[in-house]
Amino acid sequence: MAERGWDSILLYGNAWRKDPFRSLVNINFSGDHALARLSRSGEISVTFSDPWDAEIACAALQPDFVKAFSPGAAAIAGLEFMEERFVAACGPLPVSATADVEELRRVKTAEEIEFIKQACDLADRGYQRFVEVAEPGMREFELVAEVEAFLKTNGAEDNFMLIASGGTEVVGMKPPTERKFKQGDSVTTELTPQVNGYYAQICRTLVLGEPSREQLKAFDIFSEAQCAAQDLIKPGITAADAARAQNDVFRKHGYGDYTGAKYTRVRGHCLGLYPDETPHILEDIDYVLKQGMVVIVHPNTYLPLSGYMVFGDTLLITESGNTRLNKTEKKLFTK
Amino acid sequence: MKRGLITWDKAELPPSVFEARLARARAALVEHDLQALLVYSDVWRSTEGRHLTNYMPYWNRSLIVIPREQPPVLLCGLSPRVYPWIKSVTIFEEIRPASKLVPTLLQLCAERGWTQLGVLDLPRLPHEVFLPLQASRVEASDVKLDLTDDAELAMQRRAAEMAREILTIELPKGVGLTDYQFSGLLERAFRRAGAEDLVLLFGTSDSAPRPARGAMLGDKYSVAVALEYRGHWARVTQSLPL
Repeated sequence: MAERGWDSILLYGNAWRKDPFRSLVNINFSGDHALARLSRSGEISVTFSDPWDAEIACAALQPDFVKAFSPGAAAIAGLEFMEERFVAACGPLPVSATADVEELRRVKTAEEIEFIKQACDLADRGYQRFVEVAEPGMREFELVAEVEAFLKTNGAEDNFMLIASGGTEVVGMKPPTERKFKQGDSVTTELTPQVNGYYAQICRTLVLGEPSREQLKAFDIFSEAQCAAQDLIKPGITAADAARAQNDVFRKHGYGDYTGAKYTRVRGHCLGLYPDETPHILEDIDYVLKQGMVVIVHPNTYLPLSGYMVFGDTLLITESGNTRLNKTEKKLFTK
Repeated sequence: MKRGLITWDKAELPPSVFEARLARARAALVEHDLQALLVYSDVWRSTEGRHLTNYMPYWNRSLIVIPREQPPVLLCGLSPRVYPWIKSVTIFEEIRPASKLVPTLLQLCAERGWTQLGVLDLPRLPHEVFLPLQASRVEASDVKLDLTDDAELAMQRRAAEMAREILTIELPKGVGLTDYQFSGLLERAFRRAGAEDLVLLFGTSDSAPRPARGAMLGDKYSVAVALEYRGHWARVTQSLPL
């Protein structure tokens, strides 16, 4: 704040993007809006829009949340997500502190890493549950219900989860449908449970029945790509390096066309208070990775061999390399 | 988060319902002499867009554009790989990729010669959408729409009935459990019944309703369920003893 000349920072959160607020005040609020104000002298004040949140946190309540803002507000983390009526109440256009706060958030504290390790453990156990209950005849949304129940029973605050099932016609993951699993299906998922505010992720593919030669060949490529990035990642490597290491494997095997936006989104991303934190792992992102960052590398994409396939683990970047935080076996799961 | 079943049962909500809703939106455009209506939608704020088009994004943000005479267009932050699925659960026939929402919107405006847009609840647009729109040559004005009709109320009633029925059956099962364990039990019951999203809060004699935190529930507690059924939210609270 002193460097930027800010006297105070507002950290705003809403029901979708709680992360700017929770980066300072780690309360899992259940209402629509929350705002924390941090002064340069270190004083913190908190306002919620929901009376239950205010009562639990012994904090100020402002049901008409536009009144939580006053002219002259300095810098705001989460400014971009704020409703314009809130921004207007701040008077002349406030400065965004979002990028600065996100940069501070990228290198995790020991406490944050502990929460992410707990979330990883839950992701591993959640995936185990996924494999246990998935069976031909079950509908996609029923499997999600079982996994969701398991994660919540074991302390997850929330979970971001996508799924897909089928064969080479499957080009991506989405929310669950009423489709029933069939023998031979490839069932893909990314599980992203949240513990004490922090997300960790696992991506795996399950084949119901004996995998085909094409599915096995595809998995070998995904595994080689993920390992290439995991072997490379250490402080000083860029996000682009980690993406290129994965994409080069696909190119080597003649599938370079499937590393672009038509077939995939990102080759990984950071994790923390938001399940899709930046920087993304892409070949055009030159951000230099640092010790203490937590990142998932996942070469998830469509291949004509297998349809859409996923494979990825959460990694903690250490002084000289990285530590894989997921313990789930690195294999193509079959059942 | 929305990770439950997102679907469109046309027996439950016939296409004619959406045709009538679009007609009302278009009447407002005519009344205010505007060329198209803009509706912002994200994973949290999807009610307005869902009412008009049945679009419920599970992630990311989008702009729904309803022209006065042409079919609606979705400017979508999600990957084109999921467009076939989106088309299967919404009224959209045209979806355009829009990693940057406002530039894609302005391109559409330029193509169609639009200079005056209505924005549903303009003051509630996210700042990062509002700012470049305000700086553009397109004039944006606030439009209010009544989003209540018989079909909307019927679906909300259905959501409330579902919440009440399941909660009545499940509520006594929390005795002796932690709120984590009980929330797992409720998640299974609601999501297997087709809930799209679910927010559970647990209240005890010494606490306002709050998210689960590993506390024992004892034999006196309340549960507040906010349930999203096919895009329609209902909130029901029940206490034990009943």
